[in-house]
Amino acid sequence: MNFFKPALLALALVASNSAFGHAVVTHNSLKLKPVPVNLASDVELSFNSKVELDLSEVFLVSAGDKMQTITATPGEKPGQVLLHLPALEPGEYAIKLKIFAADGHLSEDLLRFFVKQAK
Amino acid sequence: MEGIANYLDSLIGGVDLTFYSITIGGLLWGLLVLRPWHEEALYNSALLSKTVNLIHFGSKALVITQLSKIGLKIWLMAVTLGKSPFPAFFQTVQFQAGLARATCAFILAVFIRQALKSNPRSKQFWVLSTAIIVPLVISAAWLVHGASRLEDRGLLMTLTVTHQIAAATWVGGIFQILTLWGLKKRNAIAVEVWPLLLKRFSAVGIGSVVILLVTGTPLAWYYIRTFQGFIGAGYGNLLLVKIIMLGLALGFAWLNRQAVNAYFTSRSLYALTARVPYYIEAETLILLTILFTAASLASQPPAVDIPHLTASFEEVLNMFHPRVPRWESPTHEALIAGEAGRVAIVGQIPSEAATAWSDYNHNISGIFLATMSFFAMLSFSNRFHRWARFWPVGFMALGVFLFFRSDAESWPLGPIGFWESTFNNGEILQHRIATLLVFVLGLIEVRARLNNNSGFMPYMFPLLAAFGGMMLLAHSHVGFEAKTAFLIQVGHTMMGVFSLILACGRWLELKLDSPGKNVAGFISVFALFQIGVILMFYREPLY
Repeated sequence: MNFFKPALLALALVASNSAFGHAVVTHNSLKLKPVPVNLASDVELSFNSKVELDLSEVFLVSAGDKMQTITATPGEKPGQVLLHLPALEPGEYAIKLKIFAADGHLSEDLLRFFVKQAK
Repeated sequence: MEGIANYLDSLIGGVDLTFYSITIGGLLWGLLVLRPWHEEALYNSALLSKTVNLIHFGSKALVITQLSKIGLKIWLMAVTLGKSPFPAFFQTVQFQAGLARATCAFILAVFIRQALKSNPRSKQFWVLSTAIIVPLVISAAWLVHGASRLEDRGLLMTLTVTHQIAAATWVGGIFQILTLWGLKKRNAIAVEVWPLLLKRFSAVGIGSVVILLVTGTPLAWYYIRTFQGFIGAGYGNLLLVKIIMLGLALGFAWLNRQAVNAYFTSRSLYALTARVPYYIEAETLILLTILFTAASLASQPPAVDIPHLTASFEEVLNMFHPRVPRWESPTHEALIAGEAGRVAIVGQIPSEAATAWSDYNHNISGIFLATMSFFAMLSFSNRFHRWARFWPVGFMALGVFLFFRSDAESWPLGPIGFWESTFNNGEILQHRIATLLVFVLGLIEVRARLNNNSGFMPYMFPLLAAFGGMMLLAHSHVGFEAKTAFLIQVGHTMMGVFSLILACGRWLELKLDSPGKNVAGFISVFALFQIGVILMFYREPLY
């Protein structure tokens, strides 16, 4: 067992994390329903697992990586989340998610999107 | 502190699985292999107390680890979300099931201490101890990622828990065999005990492997589904690594079984005492790595959920495609100039300088390792042995090179401070540990060779190499481009596998007699060369 004491000790110094946790967005409404200009709107996200919204955070990221917290509420189906976006001017944006999944993994995800004037 | 919290949170999964295995596997060892109520005369008190003590140690460690998991989760959420996770955290399945599991482990530890330790020959106490693990296992089912799925939760939880028990039976049994070998070396047990228990465990081990495959196959199918998901996503890639390592572990298990069968034919203890213990030690390194890989796998999104983010077979193959190594590095100024655009969330601009910088680091490291493996091969020749045996000095040089080059945006080259970058960025923390590991690896091995491989020092090299391999298997590049991150990961995981082969080969080279010693040594050097080749041809996707 002499070999295992240092081995177990050293085990405690290695192994690591992954940037992508277990909860990922499998569907989002951004592609099907573009965000309108200067109008508050909702974005619907579907996750692959149950998420703990009380222990999660969602940010709207705008030009210059300015972040503002946005409200997220549970959707009708399990794993579904509704994000409530404020009125947005045309430009590039992103939704940054810090999601605590029911399996205990805290994962981060990013959804980039554009707000464009209707032609 | 977010980086270090994240790092420790993921690390503890592997530690937890190790202690879980020592506990559960140890109890099943007693119940199915040792069966002390049958062998009144054969087993002495030293053997029984060692067996029970190891299980007791595992159960106590499991309590501490489970409570630490909860504590780490709280810390991680506090630093990541920037607010207290209470009272919401009390309502989570993670907290409730985690606390239930810690409680069950505590009850088990108390029962072992109060009852089994003083009555190790009592069948009733062994059965009762094993019965106590049922609620422990049930509470653990709510902590696996199948519990968070939206469909087929019951099935996935049952399959995962059964899979874990099978793995624990194998790993826990191996730990007991190592304890047994410690006694055998000191002639503290009857001569016939060692081969007898090896033979009995062989049957239990086969059963474990069958259950691992029967439960693992449907789980893999459920979470992956397609060939592309298996080849082109982190989840599938780590599963592939697990399968390769399982094959390696089974190879050693087969060698052990052959030796046991030969003993019962010839009654010669030579192979059972001069080879089998060292095969088991190598097998242990592999099994522990599998446990840590399994914990890492749990943090990956299943391939079935991210079909739009999986790489094609051609893209994966391209990561290993032979090409001329990059000899020239972009300037540090060019790299820093592109960093703001590269790390921007909105208006991100991929940085060619960052990609070239990283390629140069990897390719030059590959040249270091390939050159070292060449000198390692030379050291097998009597003509060159005297000076070529100091080839590990290359690790020290590589450590210095990596220290300056790994994370150019932080100290010593960049503007971000050493401590700030180390503790706030999980990726930089991993790089720092890896750099230190590489340097120490070289230092220890050179010193060991100066002292003619006496004492325990030579064994540090394979141990550190194995842990380096584990780091590579769990290496992650933090970012939000899942496909790019995977393509970076795939080369690192293959290097992790070769690092483990390098470690096992070197360990056996030090322990075995000829010809096994020479074969193991050659395999070890070949694995080092393979790592060098992968690094030499490494090309990072532009991101």
